[in-house]
Amino acid sequence: MNVVVCVKQIPDPADPGELDPETKTLKRDSKLILDESDSYGVEMALQLVDAAGEGEVTLVSMAPNNEVGGLRTALAMGAASAVLVSDEALAGTDALGTAKVLAAAIGRTSPDLVLAATESSDGYTGTVPAQVAELLGLPSVTFAKEIAVDGGGVHVKRQTEDGYDSVECPMPCLVSVTAGVVEPRYPSFKGIMAAKSKPVDEVTVADLGIDAGSVGWAGGGQEIVGIEPAPARESGEVIEDEGDAHERIVAFLDELKVL
Amino acid sequence: MHEWSDEHQMLRQAMKDFIAKEILPIKEDLEHGDLPPYDTLRKLFATFGMDEMARSTFRRRIERERAVAAGEVVDEPVESFGDPGFTLIPIIELSRHCPGMVTAMGVSMGLTASAISAKGTIAQKERWVEPLLTMEKIGAWAITEPNSGSDAFGSMQATARRDGDEYILNGSKTFITNGPYADTIVFIAKLDEGNPPAERKILSFVLDAGTAGLEQSKPLRKMGMHSSPTGELFLADVRVGRDRLIGETEEVAKGGREGAKATFQQERSGVAAMALGIIEQCLEVCVEYAKNRVQFGQPIGEFQLIQQKLAIMEVARMNVSNLVFRTIELGQAGRSMSFAEASAMKLYSAQAATAVALEAVQLHGGNGYMAEFQVEQLARDAKVLQIYAGTDEIQTTAIAKALLA
Repeated sequence: MNVVVCVKQIPDPADPGELDPETKTLKRDSKLILDESDSYGVEMALQLVDAAGEGEVTLVSMAPNNEVGGLRTALAMGAASAVLVSDEALAGTDALGTAKVLAAAIGRTSPDLVLAATESSDGYTGTVPAQVAELLGLPSVTFAKEIAVDGGGVHVKRQTEDGYDSVECPMPCLVSVTAGVVEPRYPSFKGIMAAKSKPVDEVTVADLGIDAGSVGWAGGGQEIVGIEPAPARESGEVIEDEGDAHERIVAFLDELKVL
Repeated sequence: MHEWSDEHQMLRQAMKDFIAKEILPIKEDLEHGDLPPYDTLRKLFATFGMDEMARSTFRRRIERERAVAAGEVVDEPVESFGDPGFTLIPIIELSRHCPGMVTAMGVSMGLTASAISAKGTIAQKERWVEPLLTMEKIGAWAITEPNSGSDAFGSMQATARRDGDEYILNGSKTFITNGPYADTIVFIAKLDEGNPPAERKILSFVLDAGTAGLEQSKPLRKMGMHSSPTGELFLADVRVGRDRLIGETEEVAKGGREGAKATFQQERSGVAAMALGIIEQCLEVCVEYAKNRVQFGQPIGEFQLIQQKLAIMEVARMNVSNLVFRTIELGQAGRSMSFAEASAMKLYSAQAATAVALEAVQLHGGNGYMAEFQVEQLARDAKVLQIYAGTDEIQTTAIAKALLA
């Protein structure tokens, strides 16, 4: 079974991020790392391929400056190869443009299953996986907390607010996974040493047959008109106990729907 | 080499993640609760495939030795772990939090396994070395005695007496890393043939825990390195066969001195890496503290006396880092430092780590003296780097001897 995992390489969340005042977007010119939320998809893919006893895991990523730092981490975990789309024309690409690029890159492979994170840790749109599925004409299942493959289909436990839905879906298909679907492995010594020599197919938008005008700033269907510092956190409500504090706390929690 | 490679950085990050998840939550038990570090070390080995790599390298080596012993021509030497960075990075990262774990690991899979590997027969290596290299078994290397420290061989009182085809071992050892829990112990003694002690041969035997007459003490209380159990061993008429005499011969193999020096060299590189971990951690927490601790209305980092401390720490970090880089670069080229150079590296790194850690305590003021702030522990841990693996004084002698030769 061949599995493609969409992975994003993002600025290290441990370092304070910086916004570009001109483009009003996050600066991505420093070293990028594997988005932690994608490590779950990579691990899930590796486990599914292991369980199938054949096939391999391919990574698909879009990043500036031919960045491969995050890809090498996923390759060290055990993925076999990667397709990296890197092109100056992609600067400013919105979620739909990203989906177009990823779908075209995935189209160069013939996966039985495509995995993606629910959302990236730096963009948070959460729309790309479903868009990729639609562009590829694949069925998609979102919010998977558990995946099993059986006789040409996937069985997914789909996280809901109240519990989970059991979903069956024929393959090929796209599944987005939640954090915690599996425990991502650490790259082993052997994996780290082998990662450097694993193939990374670096392609441009032209290689994918995509019109440069349909992606990047030119193809964006949105515009960032302004960026402002987040408002300071407001002080919380102080409840002084006049004999009814417990009732007011219960009412407050009830309003938040956490009871 | 002037910086860590991408692979090194990936490993450093993976190690940091592992330590944050698996070690920091139990650090209190490791450092103050006598929790032995071995299960955590085994988990580290299994997680990063270090056990499997050690096993396959060992087996290839043994196959080659068998082929050589059988007189077959072997053209290609067995490839060893090519990049010393992969050995030193776990040491550096562990030393930032629990340097004692490095001591426990190094003595078991380093010193003990090396002692058997260097002079043992193929059968002895197969019997004892592989489980030590994979951390399946824990090893101890017992040389120090209550009255023999730096003068290890001259003052040694432990004895081995022949009794038919067997030997009877007696003596006591102290400051033995892993002593309380070791499964496999290399016991070093003098062969007592009724001759004067100064003329006696030095023999090494391999003992298993539980052997009749062998007693392993509880962990000793000590200044630092609490995540490394240290103990005493007492041997009273322990009877062993010749199969437990390393090399199965009383004749000292040629090249023994060179072998010992290679082991010391490796050990001293390890100490430099430990020093780097301690220095890096001290510097990191000190910079953070200097930025956030406010006194007299401003962060203490604004005061020049604090800045001086940080600057001196940074100089030490750069120097020790460069020594570690040099070790790695030499190893990658298939070379190693001279004995004197390794001694100089160990001497400088150990002194630098102790000085930095003590200065880190000073920078933290009263907080630095409290266990809650990590520098107190690192200061206690660092001190032993100037004592074990050859004291500062022994390193100094080795350097001077080479200069004056």
